[in-house]
Amino acid sequence: MAITIATAMPTSFKVELLKGLHNFTAGSTRFKMALFTAVASGSGTYGAATTNYSQMGADELASATGYSRPGEFLTSVTPTADGTTAILDFANETWGSASFTTCGGLIYDTGDSNSACAVLSFGGDQTVSSGDFQIQFPGAAAATAIIRIA
Amino acid sequence: MLSAVGGVEVGIVKVGTISGRGFTPEEIADQALDQIISIGNNSHPVIQAQAEAFRTEIGCVLLAYLKQAVASHNTTLTNRFRDAGHPELVKLLEV
Repeated sequence: MAITIATAMPTSFKVELLKGLHNFTAGSTRFKMALFTAVASGSGTYGAATTNYSQMGADELASATGYSRPGEFLTSVTPTADGTTAILDFANETWGSASFTTCGGLIYDTGDSNSACAVLSFGGDQTVSSGDFQIQFPGAAAATAIIRIA
Repeated sequence: MLSAVGGVEVGIVKVGTISGRGFTPEEIADQALDQIISIGNNSHPVIQAQAEAFRTEIGCVLLAYLKQAVASHNTTLTNRFRDAGHPELVKLLEV
């Protein structure tokens, strides 16, 4: 078995947005990013149907050098508008002095029972050895931002 | 009839991995520039040129301050090593 992961916005998250369950305003330390293990080390399928952090289970990267379950808090930037598109941004996240292999990440909301906000595929295994592993979020613009509502 | 057409989308993240060391000020400056300014391919050439010049200028400022931050932090570490009775460790900070 292997992990199958596709970059997607969970359908459940879209519904939760309309219910007003997520508040990304800067200063709210509630959004975390957890990392998946290597492709060959897991077995689940993740994408638009993913609803909660708890689904990662054993497919989450084990606590090891540089990574601790259940992931790290992200620093969100207050949502704003670029033209007619609402956009959201996070500060880049770095796992320092790290040695691990991961194939993707899950952003989830600890303030809403760990509900999933975004599934991110890294396009395959990414390995770091005694170094820094960094997630670089895209520019906060209508065509690129990590979460966009057009 | 009132209707709204739009879309909710998720962006693409980049993954940066550096093994055996941390990121250099130059690498971090590049990452910051991607956050600060992006230049569309469809922009007017004059606007593109201005944006490129601005990006270069901001990059130089960022890099200078990042290097200053590293040097300043090394000063702090130097003092901590000496205060802890390990002045020999200061040599590890020399590049």
